[in-house]
Amino acid sequence: MEPFLRRTLSVTQRVLRQLQHDKRLIMLSLVVPVSVIYILYIFFDSLNNPFLDVNAYVFPLGAYIVHFLTFVLTAIVLVRERITETLPRMMVNGYQQLEIILGYLLAYTTLATAQSLLVLGEITWLFELEYDLATLASVYVVMWLLAMISMAMGIFVSNFARNEGQVFPFIPLVILPSIFLSGMIMSIEALPEWAQALSLLSPVYYSTEALHGLVAGNSLWEEGAAVLSLPLYGLVVLILASLTLRDKA
Amino acid sequence: MTQNLAIEAKGIDKRYGHIRALHEVDISVEEGQIFGLIGANGAGKSTFIKLLVGVADANAGSLRVLGLQPKKNKRQLREQIGYMPQSPALYEDLTAAENLRFFARGHRLDNLNEKVRATLEFVQLAERANDPVSTLSGGMKQRVSLACALVHQPRLFLLDEPTAGVDLKLRAAFWEHFKQLAAEGATILVSTHQMDEANHCHRLAIISEGHIVATDTPQGLLQRGRAILHLWRGEQHEKYTLDDYPTDLPKQLQNYGLDKQVTRIEFETNSLEAIVLDLMGSGSRQAGGLD
Repeated sequence: MEPFLRRTLSVTQRVLRQLQHDKRLIMLSLVVPVSVIYILYIFFDSLNNPFLDVNAYVFPLGAYIVHFLTFVLTAIVLVRERITETLPRMMVNGYQQLEIILGYLLAYTTLATAQSLLVLGEITWLFELEYDLATLASVYVVMWLLAMISMAMGIFVSNFARNEGQVFPFIPLVILPSIFLSGMIMSIEALPEWAQALSLLSPVYYSTEALHGLVAGNSLWEEGAAVLSLPLYGLVVLILASLTLRDKA
Repeated sequence: MTQNLAIEAKGIDKRYGHIRALHEVDISVEEGQIFGLIGANGAGKSTFIKLLVGVADANAGSLRVLGLQPKKNKRQLREQIGYMPQSPALYEDLTAAENLRFFARGHRLDNLNEKVRATLEFVQLAERANDPVSTLSGGMKQRVSLACALVHQPRLFLLDEPTAGVDLKLRAAFWEHFKQLAAEGATILVSTHQMDEANHCHRLAIISEGHIVATDTPQGLLQRGRAILHLWRGEQHEKYTLDDYPTDLPKQLQNYGLDKQVTRIEFETNSLEAIVLDLMGSGSRQAGGLD
């Protein structure tokens, strides 16, 4: 097997083994988004506003929850790898930056996929949405792409934290502005121009754009620009992450 | 014939902010040697090893490891070295064998499973191979960590305090391992703060507050110590301090003569530990003078 592929899959296999051992993490990663979505349901249900198009909100919010969780999880896990010196050891033992990052992405895809499917299923069921399978599958693709970006962002950010605690300041910095700048709650056209420019930096902006289009009845093809922005955004973060992932202890 | 050098460091400086961790460090390690880097905690041992592995960069000086520059030829160099960091650096939730297999997969190895099995046997952990690392004792974790540095059969071992926190019996077993590896042609640089381990090394460098205060063989270091010569003429006891006993002792004996009245001679030499502590003290004074 190609050394690149062998080492990438070796990281994936190792991370999966670790996930397998950490049943509590798996449970929490699934229970937390399910609970938050339920609270969201209660919230919209209590609003009882017939003029509010709930459909336009719930999918972007669901995607946002998965984005938040995967970002924090990946950042903390990578910081832990650096603290325990397994990250420099991995690199001294021949693993390259890109192999480690791709290995992690592949492994955590399982978790992100489970989270995305669960959130999607719960939203459809609670809010009694009646979308066809093609639309739901498209929504899933967008959520999954956002989750991949979130992991790459987590890995990138882990470079700037020396311990797990230092990951937390990045949450308000990276995660919170997206709530207001992504068009998830209000259209960004109402924002001043400079704030609209900032929106373009948030990956949630692209996922929200795409999800709004899908919910309005467009296909993935018709939402091509927003949908394609996501893998491009992911690629940029991936390159940034692999250029910066340090072997320095 | 001059021996090939596995490690050649000249004038190495390393700073962390305003702290100067290494001051113009010169170290040469010949191939096939067990080289001991001896110093107290915080003396700069780990920093030096990290420079050799390329997980830290020097601020000044030149460094060659197996003829390569750690910063420029990272990939080529790392195929040939086995690094054991000071912390165990293992995945606690995975088994010993899983850890070993994972780190070994970074290298191109044939018969991976066989090598993993043989390495675990070498560090006497075959019976615990399938237990999670979190259930192993501190000494066992050190052995798994050592195994991770051994598994790809490197030419050069860089071992950062491999025997810290390890009981006496296991320490003896570790040194047996190291000697066996050196006998097979490997070069080993091992750091320790335990003086009694100095005797196992072919050569030693004593490091104190970032300065190399002495580089010598264990025998050479012993000769630097003071010796006290006790002479008895019947009840009369005389005491002489010898600074360089291999040359001073004959001179003293010639001066005083071995007449028939001398009834008893005792010879008391400094221990290696006392000599090393003395040298470290001089390093601290030197550091104090520089900073």
